[in-house]
Amino acid sequence: MKDKKQQNRHVYWNPYFGGFLLGLLILFTFYMTGRGLGASGALKSSVVTMVNTVAPTHAQNNTYYSKFIKEGESPMNNWLVFEAIGVLLGAFLSGAFTGRLKLKVQHSPKITSKRRLIFALAGGLLFGLGAQIARGCTSGAALSGMAVLSTGGFITMMAIFGTGYAVAYFFRKNWI
Amino acid sequence: MGPLIPNGIIPEDWNYIIAILIGLAFGYILEASGFSSSRKLAGVFYGYDFAVLKVFFTSAVVAVIGLYYMDYLNWVDISQLYVHPTYLWAAIIGGMIMGVGFLAGGFCPGTSLCAVAIGKIDGMVFTLGLIIGIFIFSESFSALEPFFEGSNLGNITLVDTLGISPYWIIFVFTIIALVAFAFSDWVRSKVKKVFY
Amino acid sequence: MSKKYKLKRLLVRRYQILAAILFILAAGLVLLPKYKKNEGVKPELFVKNAISSERYINTDLLADRLVNQDPSILLIDTRPEKEFNEFALPNAINIPLKNLLDENYIEYIDQDIYDIILYSNDSFYADQAWMIGNRLGYKNLYVLKGGLNEWFNTIISPKYPDETMPKEAFELYSFRKAAGMYFGIGVIDTKANPIEKAVAKKKTPKKVKPKPKKKKRVPEGGC
Repeated sequence: MKDKKQQNRHVYWNPYFGGFLLGLLILFTFYMTGRGLGASGALKSSVVTMVNTVAPTHAQNNTYYSKFIKEGESPMNNWLVFEAIGVLLGAFLSGAFTGRLKLKVQHSPKITSKRRLIFALAGGLLFGLGAQIARGCTSGAALSGMAVLSTGGFITMMAIFGTGYAVAYFFRKNWI
Repeated sequence: MGPLIPNGIIPEDWNYIIAILIGLAFGYILEASGFSSSRKLAGVFYGYDFAVLKVFFTSAVVAVIGLYYMDYLNWVDISQLYVHPTYLWAAIIGGMIMGVGFLAGGFCPGTSLCAVAIGKIDGMVFTLGLIIGIFIFSESFSALEPFFEGSNLGNITLVDTLGISPYWIIFVFTIIALVAFAFSDWVRSKVKKVFY
Repeated sequence: MSKKYKLKRLLVRRYQILAAILFILAAGLVLLPKYKKNEGVKPELFVKNAISSERYINTDLLADRLVNQDPSILLIDTRPEKEFNEFALPNAINIPLKNLLDENYIEYIDQDIYDIILYSNDSFYADQAWMIGNRLGYKNLYVLKGGLNEWFNTIISPKYPDETMPKEAFELYSFRKAAGMYFGIGVIDTKANPIEKAVAKKKTPKKVKPKPKKKKRVPEGGC
């Protein structure tokens, strides 16, 4: 019994409780700032900053980067970047209080860490690409979009989860 | 009244401080709900853990009901809120790519940041992948631009698309969510438990 | 014992109870009596705008902008047509107060490309026009302070300052005098053909490059 508990150290919040708080947070965010939450926007700002530092002329010439580069202002000086810093801090605090801080690769016992990491990299790559095409990820487009009944938000959400279920079979070995 | 910052009720200078505080709460809630664990997230696709569905739908329902009550009471002006624009095909294809990415990587950008914060190496690799993905997108932007900018339907909501009152949409959406919760519990009782 | 039992039963049913609460809240939105929301600006904002001195532009500033041929201003004369034909400021469009909301005219007022300056003989008609426009949420409306009377007193026939007055007063006087001479010609010009002038102006607005909107910060994208 104790062994099982040890193995299963994931005493997380009740999902409805978490969802309720998250809903209130989205409400608060809209009330304060008129916009929703986001996550991939901060990474986009980081990419723009990196490219702009390494190859400024290249960044100026690219139509996509140049959208986010303003004279005399760092692309990092962005609402979403500050929000992402907050996310890192908040998650760290939560992990610290519950003793979940640990450097490790989490994977199904059926696969190796190496396989997990390769898939994580590929998944991240696809997700980054998809999030840019759809102009937002699960938090920015789907979650915040749904809160204001945005049609695009619902379409993105259905596309993500619909495709997820459609391809779940092919990735089953990684998870179960 | 609201939204407070765009209407100048709270000075713009507070914007970034509030951003950090909101992010802090966001990160805390995500982590405490177990979203820093990719195996918990993936559970929704295999029926052994529906935390993603429950958190996601509960928060969307709470937020949308709350916003419309606040609009009703004139505390916030819905028309002033940012509505995610709808670029039909970009949203569908982007969403599909994200779906595959979700299953392969087990995170989404927000949750991967949480995983990074508590030291999950797979989360860090996923974030690295995100950065590479964004980089690839930006570098090939000129080729993708017609598609990216195409089929723009503007900042529309379901009210515009379906042509029915937002209140009915919310009502139906709430019922769908409640049915989904009940259904997910039923599915979970049928599926073999997975410990992670 | 029975109390504990009741609590236990409540806890067992907690999800059903929560679901019921959510259901009731959603149904409440559908069932709440609907009322039409105020269109245009909110009353509080309206009062704030009305008492703000920023809604006035003084004659010197207007003269300066006219002399410099500032393309971003649009003068609107709110007096009756007869008075307009007798005299009007250069390039002004005549929209008598009673015709303010006519379809032909509304597009001049309901826009955010130009700074619209309303004037009448004093500030009275112009103020009323401003009130109506502001209540409807139109942007960039201003009133010429003191109207044409003030315009005559300051720009067309400025008073020579007293010897004891500071240097600035003399500078202002010479500016006004120069402006007055400039408009002396301009006024005759308008007088000659006021209606054609107004018609001609009607077409020009579209050619001018729109000024960036002076809008409040609009919340932007998510991720």
